[in-house]
Amino acid sequence: MSYVELKDIRVSYDHKNDILKDLNLSIEKGELVSLLGPSGCGKTTTLRVIAGLINPNDGEFLVDSQNLTKVPVHKRKFGMVFQSYALFPHLTIRENVAFGLKLRKEKKNVIDQKVKDILAITGLEELGDRYPKQLSGGQRQRVALARALVIEPKLLLLDEPLSNLDAKLRVAMRIEIKRIQSQLGITSVFVTHDQEECFSISDKVAVMNKGIIEQFDTPEEIYKNPKTEFVARFIGFENFFQLTRVEEGKYKAGDGTIFLSTRQWETDKRTGTIRPDDIDIVTGTEPNENNTVSGTVKVRTFLGKSYQYEIETPIGALLVNESDDVIYQVGDSVTLSIPAHKLIIV
Amino acid sequence: MTQRRIPYLILAPGLILLILFLVLPLISIIFPTFFDGGFTLAHYISFFMDDYNVGIFWRTIKISLIVTLVCVLLGVPTAYYISQSPKKWRGLLMSLTLFPLLTNSVVRSFAWITILGQGGVVNNTLMGLGVISEPLTLLYTEFAIIIGSVYLFLPLMIITLVGILENIETEIMEAAETLGANRLIAFVKVVLPLSVPGIIVGSILVFTGTMTAYTTPQLLGGNRNIMLATFLYQNATALGNWQGASVIALVMIVATLVVMKLFNVVAGRMDKRGEVSA
Amino acid sequence: MRKQIGLKIFAGLVFAFLFVPLLIIVVTSFGTNSTIQFPIQGFTLDWYGKVFENQSFVNSFLLSLQIAFWGTVLALLVGVPAAYSLARHSIFGRNWIKSFFLSPTIVPGLVVGYSLYQFIVIQLQFPLIQGLLLGHFLICLPYVIRVVGSTIEQLDGSIEEVSWTLGCTKLQAFMKVVLPNITSGIFASFMLAFINSFNNIPVSQFLSGPGVTMLPTSLMNYIEYNYDPSVSALSVILMLGTVVLMFVIEKTLGLASIS
Ligand SMILES: Nc1ncnc2c1ncn2[C@@H]1O[C@H](COP(=O)(O)OP(=O)(O)OP(=O)(O)O)[C@@H](O)[C@H]1O
Ligand SMILES: [Mg+2]
Repeated sequence: MSYVELKDIRVSYDHKNDILKDLNLSIEKGELVSLLGPSGCGKTTTLRVIAGLINPNDGEFLVDSQNLTKVPVHKRKFGMVFQSYALFPHLTIRENVAFGLKLRKEKKNVIDQKVKDILAITGLEELGDRYPKQLSGGQRQRVALARALVIEPKLLLLDEPLSNLDAKLRVAMRIEIKRIQSQLGITSVFVTHDQEECFSISDKVAVMNKGIIEQFDTPEEIYKNPKTEFVARFIGFENFFQLTRVEEGKYKAGDGTIFLSTRQWETDKRTGTIRPDDIDIVTGTEPNENNTVSGTVKVRTFLGKSYQYEIETPIGALLVNESDDVIYQVGDSVTLSIPAHKLIIV
Repeated sequence: MTQRRIPYLILAPGLILLILFLVLPLISIIFPTFFDGGFTLAHYISFFMDDYNVGIFWRTIKISLIVTLVCVLLGVPTAYYISQSPKKWRGLLMSLTLFPLLTNSVVRSFAWITILGQGGVVNNTLMGLGVISEPLTLLYTEFAIIIGSVYLFLPLMIITLVGILENIETEIMEAAETLGANRLIAFVKVVLPLSVPGIIVGSILVFTGTMTAYTTPQLLGGNRNIMLATFLYQNATALGNWQGASVIALVMIVATLVVMKLFNVVAGRMDKRGEVSA
Repeated sequence: MRKQIGLKIFAGLVFAFLFVPLLIIVVTSFGTNSTIQFPIQGFTLDWYGKVFENQSFVNSFLLSLQIAFWGTVLALLVGVPAAYSLARHSIFGRNWIKSFFLSPTIVPGLVVGYSLYQFIVIQLQFPLIQGLLLGHFLICLPYVIRVVGSTIEQLDGSIEEVSWTLGCTKLQAFMKVVLPNITSGIFASFMLAFINSFNNIPVSQFLSGPGVTMLPTSLMNYIEYNYDPSVSALSVILMLGTVVLMFVIEKTLGLASIS
């Protein structure tokens, strides 16, 4: 059994619509797991169930084989970082960080030492006597993290902790969070809807859609092998076309073109998909070869480092990114190659 | 599931105190006015059949209406002036408006006794100038009640309006002017419509306030210009007519609610018209 | 610019209307004549002394202070938790309950006092002073609900949630995290409720009797039979009190917070 287990969690705010539908998730000790998904898919709700801020209508929540489903939030001893940071405005940074320890009635010198250590780890030594109002966004972020970490939580929960920071700081802070998390070996759940942020920081990613987890895998696996159309779309696959299965590794498109795939797919999957980057515009190939289609350029968009073409083909309109080595004009006829090892069937 | 009840437990003391000491007392005085053996409206019918009572009722409504109107007329331009002043100056003007509001209403009514009385400022001045030979009867008139009530409620109207007018940006006025409207027209066409919500809120406060006021009519109205509140007090104490006092109490409550409702309906109408023309 | 001058004159006249009567009171309080005169002949401070010699003024002043203070405290004790519950919990019929808490402002003050007198004092035989206290509690409650309620609504709710995750019970979170951050709202509602209770007449009108008279009522009774400058002097003292309170509020909260 994994360190953290969510079993068949169901949540409904209004007793009509289920926001989470029999959600299952297992997290190993020391892992950083991200919940990734579009707005409103239930990421925050899942995190709040874990924290104990919401009681699930059904299902169980276990940590270290202990059933915590009915344990109230203040007894769970998890650290939580909110999007708004939620620092206590009336307390100094030091008092903010010491808050949880004081509640635990620890000895004063123990508290002082722990607070000092965590302020050092998070790079806040100088700021202990200031009030939250006197800090920058990135500093507040660190205080929120320090306050959650100092109680040595079994679990660290972060709800879009970086979304209020500017782009540069966001990258710096996510590296920082990852460093501290692995240094302390703390099991963490990280909510985000930013794909890059999520992939760079996580050991594993749960892609959520409308209250269910569509795929739970390592970032590499999700990037390379999305299991469902939703996941594929969410992580940047933009070309989808219907296929019929001929045999293992061999598919046929509506116009009769044969597509070979080097990988094994579940037999009920029927949609081919590929990233715009992975399609090549080729010359010198007969259009009736396998894995190729011919088409006409409809739209050209300049993307900076490359051009994006929208190409009308017998299997549908396809988006293709190409470098500026050869620039095609609207109306040009081209042949597209969809490599067998890049074709995904979902 | 005791967790679920906590929010209601926290509310309970307040709710219970309100029920025990506001609702129950009100019921206890109003309930008997509907019973005389069996259910009856006789007390209310006879109240409104009596010319003297009806006279007091209409006087109260009339005075409240005039006071509200005067407060709007004096308040809107003043509030507009305050809201357009530089920030520092505005703070001072707001404190000046707040000061009378926080000063006891007996003091504020008393000021008008010294002004309007037989040997008061106005009569002294006019007689000194030889304009009149006999002192005018200014105090203990409807006029005295009106001026005293305006004096009482004008600050409230101004403060309510400033809150709304502050949110109208100067640019809107400037835009109106660049379109060729002179300041007065811009004021009438732009500021007035935008301040309607403030005028409505302020008017509700002033109207219901005047209608139920006790201090000012008591001090400035004398015995001949009785209003509902003073009438209630008279009935209960001097005449020992508790039943009658209770009838007036309900009349006052209902009148207050009706006036609030009316003003809100008017406000709704105005809003709709604004939408149609826009 | 010409139109602005018209507006300026208009506003000037309105402020003159608001302040000249009060100035007249100030001036008359220094007059030597035994009835109020304006303009005054001679100058004396005697009338201020007379105010303090008048036992009924002094006693009713002390009573007014106590009733306004305890009425406000009671309203805070009951109202702050209620305002918190209304702002933070999903309460069934929330808007109705909130209107109910604000309803003492809709019932005319004289009627509040009258019904309390009839029910509490006459029927239930409560001491008059308890009825008076309850009446003033009713005046104070809406201010607490409104001002404290809006302060709580403006407070970021996640600071409470974070304190729970750090180990606070709901009660501890309220005491350690909510209360310290709504002190300005509590203070503002205290000032508002106290001032309004202190100045209120209609509610106390029925609820007074021998030895139980609030200052404004006592002043009003005095005016009915007397027309001497000690009334002016007391008025000036009350105005000074207002100035002091306004100064305190301005220095602590800013006057904008109560207007
Ligand atoms: N307190 C609530 N009462 C009713 N519905 C709610 C409540 N909180 C969230 N919801 C609904 O539940 C769904 C999931 O919300 P949740 O906050 O978990 O989304 P999210 O994935 O965190 O989205 P975001 O990325 O925008 O933060 C949404 O449709 C939302 O409208
Ligand atoms: Mg969220």
